[in-house]
Amino acid sequence: MALSKEDFNKLAVLSRLRFSDEEAEKFRNEMDDIIAFADTINNAVSGGTDDIKNTSIDAVGFRELREDEVRESLPNEKILSNVEGHKGFFNVRRCVG
Amino acid sequence: MNYELVCGIETHIELATKTKIFCGCTTEFGGAPNTHCCPVCTGQPGSLPILNRKVVEYAVRAGLAVNCTINNNSHMDRKNYVYPDLPKAYQISQFDEPVCENGYIELDSGKRIGITRIHIEEDAGKLVHENGTTYIDYNRGGVPLIEIVSEPDISSPEEAREYAEKLQLIMRYVGISDCKMQEGSMRCDVNLSLRPVGTKEFGTRTETKNINSLSNIVKAMNREIERQEDILESGGKIVQATMRYDANTDEIYPMRTKENSDDYRYFPDPDILRFYIEPEFVEKTKSSLPELPSAKLRRYIDEFKLPETTARDIYKYRRVSEFLDKAVAMGASVKNTANMIIGGIYKTLETEEDKENFAIKTSAEQLSELIRLIDEKKINKNKGQEALAKMLDTGKAVSEFIKAEDTQGMSDDELRAICEAAVSANPDAVSNIRAGKGKAINVIFGYIMRETRGKADMGKVNKIINELIG
Amino acid sequence: MKELLTTLSTKLKNREISSVELTNEYIKAIEAENEKINAYVHTTFDYAIECAKRADDMLKAGDASPLCGIPMALKDNICSDGHLTTCCSKILDGFRPYYDSTVWTKLKREGAVLLGKNNMDEFAMGSTSESSCYGAPKNPRNTAHVTGGSSGGGAAAVAANMAAYTLGSDTGGSIRQPASYCGVVGLKPTYGAVSRYGLIAYGSSLDQIGPITNSVRDASLVFDAIKGVDINDQTSVDHEYGNITSQLTGDIKGLKIGVAEEYFEGIDKETKESVERALAFYEANGAELVSVKLPILKDSLPVYYIIACAEASSNLGRYDGIRYGYRAGDYTDIDDMIYKTRSEGFGKEVQHRIILGTYVLSSGYYDAYYKKACLLRNDIIRKFDEVFDVCDVLIAPNAPTTAPTLGYSSKSAVEMYMSDICTVPVNIAGLPGISIPCGKDKDGMPIGMQILGRKFAEKTILNTAYFYELNNKNVIGEYEGGVNL
Repeated sequence: MALSKEDFNKLAVLSRLRFSDEEAEKFRNEMDDIIAFADTINNAVSGGTDDIKNTSIDAVGFRELREDEVRESLPNEKILSNVEGHKGFFNVRRCVG
Repeated sequence: MNYELVCGIETHIELATKTKIFCGCTTEFGGAPNTHCCPVCTGQPGSLPILNRKVVEYAVRAGLAVNCTINNNSHMDRKNYVYPDLPKAYQISQFDEPVCENGYIELDSGKRIGITRIHIEEDAGKLVHENGTTYIDYNRGGVPLIEIVSEPDISSPEEAREYAEKLQLIMRYVGISDCKMQEGSMRCDVNLSLRPVGTKEFGTRTETKNINSLSNIVKAMNREIERQEDILESGGKIVQATMRYDANTDEIYPMRTKENSDDYRYFPDPDILRFYIEPEFVEKTKSSLPELPSAKLRRYIDEFKLPETTARDIYKYRRVSEFLDKAVAMGASVKNTANMIIGGIYKTLETEEDKENFAIKTSAEQLSELIRLIDEKKINKNKGQEALAKMLDTGKAVSEFIKAEDTQGMSDDELRAICEAAVSANPDAVSNIRAGKGKAINVIFGYIMRETRGKADMGKVNKIINELIG
Repeated sequence: MKELLTTLSTKLKNREISSVELTNEYIKAIEAENEKINAYVHTTFDYAIECAKRADDMLKAGDASPLCGIPMALKDNICSDGHLTTCCSKILDGFRPYYDSTVWTKLKREGAVLLGKNNMDEFAMGSTSESSCYGAPKNPRNTAHVTGGSSGGGAAAVAANMAAYTLGSDTGGSIRQPASYCGVVGLKPTYGAVSRYGLIAYGSSLDQIGPITNSVRDASLVFDAIKGVDINDQTSVDHEYGNITSQLTGDIKGLKIGVAEEYFEGIDKETKESVERALAFYEANGAELVSVKLPILKDSLPVYYIIACAEASSNLGRYDGIRYGYRAGDYTDIDDMIYKTRSEGFGKEVQHRIILGTYVLSSGYYDAYYKKACLLRNDIIRKFDEVFDVCDVLIAPNAPTTAPTLGYSSKSAVEMYMSDICTVPVNIAGLPGISIPCGKDKDGMPIGMQILGRKFAEKTILNTAYFYELNNKNVIGEYEGGVNL
């Protein structure tokens, strides 16, 4: 199934990615191949099982979940160590110009 | 044309756990920005969420308190959307296997408002916009929430308010949250549509978000109903939208819509294992639930024989009702305890919040001791009120204010002797009384009160004086 | 193959060499070789010396672990506190995590020495490491060839003696395939056997950290050190393995080796023959070959790409320029900043996969793709279970060909995906697999075979591989450069 321009644009918005028209066109064509490849799932030898819930993720007993015990948080300098923070906040400044 | 309202409410409640839903950071309110944070709740690459058991426990508690079925098998899903307050660009929530389903809350009228589901999820951080700069604080990010989704069973703003109020009280009773709407630990989103009376089809609905008080639920709904009526009356169409109610101006307006509003691409979070809630645990939780508000109110009226208004004034604050029950259990009479609370303690608690917090300096034990003195007529009510006021003021024990001699009481002979003295000391008053001027008796009573330092049993005094004067 | 770790450990314990001296040897080797091989994208030499000094103290105190004092490296998607960890992506430019991954915490405790971070495909998405924003690493056996991927830098570093061992991650073959291309050993453990805490996620339900080493015994030593349940990773599993290295015997008498013809379809003649020779060798030495059917193999590829891309599209949403990494320089508002950061920061292959992942999860397509893939995944798991009812291990080629030349893989995306056919099924089913060299092609490029087992059967597959290694020394031959002690 080919991907319409609108569909592609919607995916781009959901993914927060922007493409030039040219890029988008090239990408959309490549996507067609990839989708065709994904579509081969419909020719799978197996029909699959009916319950998604049984085996795809293991279940854990309720008692094995984490206890509600406080662990010390990290200092603010660490939390902000990868950005230029402001008074303890992450921030995004408006760009001038 | 006449329209009828179709309304459902989504309520977010912050759970009173010690730690966040997926990490060990504290859930404490406030704190300097980004100081209750770690790699997990700031979405550091490579970090992984670890589900807090208490969150599931609280959700089960909440569900049982509003008559839900508990799903023994449950799991977490990712709800994908991009917003700067959401550090992973997905919120870990529940989609198709919420912890609780199919409950209800009964209104005073007997009408039931259905509860579709209750699921657990994480809260987002907070954004502050100032002069074009956005500041972000993730302290609140990862604080556990339950979202309680009602059926569209609500048909008036008053019902909506009652539903929210009852929900709030129930959640406070079961101890999972303080449900303070002003502080945001309880937030209501109202979904609302109109349809011509008698029709079955739903109209287009809008969602009014983050209403921050019970009374604003009514106000916001009234504004939105008016707005929708106006549109429909003028032949227009309602557009699905998210609305925002401004309590300061009492106005409602649509919020800026996001480009990708409606495709959250839910899928099971591969980082969190499915979890199994044992039926035994559910049973245990059920039997550990405290008496719920509706049952408590019924008991206050039916067994305690309290007037309904008094009963309501007490049951609507969890701590107050617990205080009453405790004092009564320790032997104080219901009537005097209730009166002391409403006539005495409430005088010192001005706001709703004060009553809700019920941070008073005396204990149920002390109050019960005081009330027993009144019940046994060892002191009279005035003396009791005075003592209570001092107890509330200083936090000291009853014994500090009621001396032994106050409570020794007085033999009937002693009392009769004082009464006789009063009569002989006030001949004018006696003749006035005999002449039918009833008020003159106060002179006699005043004398007796002075002589007994207020501890005379006025019932007995009345009887003796009657005998003496005839 | 050389049991490098045991050799080095013995020298260190006997004080023939100190950890600092050894570390300096590796630093010299990296300085000499990296320009050619491009195995490292970030080095942590000062920290390495610090680690080495600590290790020397531990060695002096006695009772040091077999990995104490030995220099190694992590893939550029495994976090260590304060060190650049960038997934070879511009979007994580300058990113220094402020916490340690669990694997590094464990190794550090044992006295390991961290030399730096290895080159890889951007966000581990690829099979040649050519999508790295730092340029592709080169295959030490022949630098005109790719290393494979995505853990290409880690495999190259081991092959070129630029690290005694490395840790990689395997989402769809990313440890086994480059190990095979570079002629070294790569172990992809059972899903959950090694904590993922601190591994920057690609496909969370598929990702698994594992060692890349010179020998099977080395792989076992490293696996012993990093395995185990972790309170920071709920998907990690508490399995009682015991110490596997001490249980390696090389005894394969009576071992039932499953051979699925589906694994040999479309495989290069030389590779196929090489693996078949290995199978014959096993049979001649007392193992029993069992023919099994795995028709579900060909379903694995679309299932893999749908699940991996779906998870990736969600995992990579967090790179918005706000909290770490690259932020676009010129934007009008926060939304514009996020768009520009992501569009400029992610490479094309990553953008492809994000879009594909978004597509298969979006409303209207979820059931047809993502859900269907999950259902098929259950089926693949079940089929493998059935196969392991009749055999102990499966032996199969690692890749349809040996390492292609650089640039060759810039063919279509789908063709590229197809080359992962041999490796992805194991990730889908969460099973362990090890890749070991079993021959060379006519150009001298290494051929690898993989030995697969049921869940938590690391001991069985390691022992099966160990037998081959004991009896087939120097399959690939020594590399001339790097540290040669």
